[in-house]
Amino acid sequence: MTRASVVFVVDDDPSVRSSLKFLLSSVGLQVESFDSAEAFLQRKPPDAPSCLVLDVRLHGLSGLDFQRELAARNIRIPIVFVTGHGDIPMSVRAMKAGAIEFLTKPYRDQDLLDAVRIALERDRARREQERDLTDLQQRFNALTPREQEVISMVVSGMLNKQIAAELGTAENTVKVHRSRAMEKMNAQSFADLVRMIEKLKGPAEKAS
Amino acid sequence: MPFLSLPVFTKMTSETHGARRSTEPLDLRDVIESIPALVLCALADGSAEFANRAWQEYSGRPLQELTGGGWQTTIHPDDIAKFFHESTVALVSGKSTETEARLRRADGQYHWFSIRKTLAVSRSRNSEPSLRTLIACEDIEERKQEESARRYSEERHRLVVETASDAVISLDESGAILLANPATTRVFGYDPAELIGKPLTILMPEFLRKLHEAGFKRYLATRERHINWQGTELTGLRKNGQEFPVEISFGELSKDGHRVFTGFIRDISERKQAEEIRKQAQKAIQTAQAELARVSRLTTMGELAASIAHEVNQPLTAVNNNSSACLRLLANQSLQPDVLRRALEEIVADGTRASAIIARIRAFIKKAPVEKSRLDVNEVIGEVLAMMGHGFEENGISLQSDLAQALPPVLGDRVQVQQVLLNLIMNGIEAITAVTDQPRSLWVESRIDESGDILVAVRDSGTGLGLEADRVFTPFFTTKANGMGMGLAISRSLIESHGGRLWGTPNHPRGAVFSFTLPVDGEGPS
Repeated sequence: MTRASVVFVVDDDPSVRSSLKFLLSSVGLQVESFDSAEAFLQRKPPDAPSCLVLDVRLHGLSGLDFQRELAARNIRIPIVFVTGHGDIPMSVRAMKAGAIEFLTKPYRDQDLLDAVRIALERDRARREQERDLTDLQQRFNALTPREQEVISMVVSGMLNKQIAAELGTAENTVKVHRSRAMEKMNAQSFADLVRMIEKLKGPAEKAS
Repeated sequence: MPFLSLPVFTKMTSETHGARRSTEPLDLRDVIESIPALVLCALADGSAEFANRAWQEYSGRPLQELTGGGWQTTIHPDDIAKFFHESTVALVSGKSTETEARLRRADGQYHWFSIRKTLAVSRSRNSEPSLRTLIACEDIEERKQEESARRYSEERHRLVVETASDAVISLDESGAILLANPATTRVFGYDPAELIGKPLTILMPEFLRKLHEAGFKRYLATRERHINWQGTELTGLRKNGQEFPVEISFGELSKDGHRVFTGFIRDISERKQAEEIRKQAQKAIQTAQAELARVSRLTTMGELAASIAHEVNQPLTAVNNNSSACLRLLANQSLQPDVLRRALEEIVADGTRASAIIARIRAFIKKAPVEKSRLDVNEVIGEVLAMMGHGFEENGISLQSDLAQALPPVLGDRVQVQQVLLNLIMNGIEAITAVTDQPRSLWVESRIDESGDILVAVRDSGTGLGLEADRVFTPFFTTKANGMGMGLAISRSLIESHGGRLWGTPNHPRGAVFSFTLPVDGEGPS
């Protein structure tokens, strides 16, 4: 687990809030607590793996409404719900909206800690993936336009000869562009390059 | 009309014909001239020999135009045939006849006349007897119109009676039926003809007959009305013996010293039925409302329990969190004494908070409005079992009740006792449902115990209490997956507030028995 990871506790009951903070910090987690959803939203989104331990029944914005609000703001933080008195429809709704766990108070401490661990791990993985993608994008952006053009054609399965004909240059020139691009992209093999380009295309295609 | 038997209008005649002297012998012709009726004398061939002044004036024609065949033009063309046919008959039979015909007035209008024809035979000494017809006509136009109006009105009334949907029956003074309209068949099943002459009592059930006869007799004697003549509800009897509700209105008519009573009898079975249905519906609504009020009280308890759970779970969660954290730190040998102290302080505070919440709930339950009344415990058991409905069948549980008869009443709040019983039975059912390989039975018993209290026991063949028999009454203790752990705690405090006790013991060979007592009303120190 990353040392810098943070658990945010949002519960309007002061003794639950402080005891939760105590419990989570007893296993070495960094904890920040808030008495309302609004208070949490004031804070700048963290730049480290994090998760929310959220009470369903809150004053002001309820836990489930808060979950929707976060999704609307594109804040992708994993949520562990805890509730004093939950029912099945409530938990189904929370889980469908992507909650990690829905715990009924008083829960077993191990269940909560497990859920928090899973949540943080998921957030860390997501962040890593996003960071990889950003790196990749930066490397791709660092290529010259011609290099970008050449590797796009390479990845689509065209031979050097065909690319040279298409671009109206010598086959050797294509080879030079290709090897330079491989080097800049930090690709170990042709297969590696294909995976990278696919990854880059992924979110772009989804977005379009 | 007696104009030919000639009352002597001496004075009038002398005035009309002032030239004559009243002492002169009466000329029949003068008399005829003075009669207000139209008079004409016709010969055997139909020609007029004479028409009196009245005729001349009425028809607006001078005598010359009327004599001979001219007079016949005053008869309405449609009536001529009848007019003369009757004359012929009169001639042949030698009797005076009477008919009616329209005669034309000077202004062209026709009036109805009553026409009387008499055959007059005059004999001269030397000749054949000559036959004349004396025709006297009396204007009956007014009477005709009145008659027609009356006939129309009668017809209208007859139509009303004939087509009425109510039975219309007329009686004479003896109580015998004079008339019954067609609707009588629909209402009573009798053909109107069958009823004529029968006593009205044939249409009443036995118990009304004497009353009717006495009432009718009394009315004839005293003329005092003892019942409402407009819309009295009574019972009718159909031909097939069926009794049915009727609404009767009647009136009385005297004619020639005889009294006729006419009644309108309406079959109100359907109306009664509708009223009955409405009454039942209203009753059902009332019952449903009472049921709703009761159920909502029960639900309020359920919701209360839910919010209690939330309230109490907060400090419990905090206690758990704090103690778990301490244990973890202790395991790492990194628990600082001041951290431990702060955690313990919080634990104590949360424990106090939880028990304060429970104390508040207890107080709330005690404060809930209690309506104590005398209760038959067996009746309450019956109500709860009825509320359970198919709960037993659905779970494949055989229910057996063993209720002591004639138990003395207890003083209690019906709803609270119902709640306790319902709770015990629901617990029993849940415990039984967990058992799959044994017969499933639930017993409900009532009796008087050794100390004279009423004892109610709910016995099940379920999973039993094991070692937890005492803990089940502890608030928030539960053996159920979805239990709140409040049912038995609340039940016990309800029974205790009634001066009773609630406890659980193992059942043999399996299951549990939950029993409670309630003191008998009117006995004991209070």
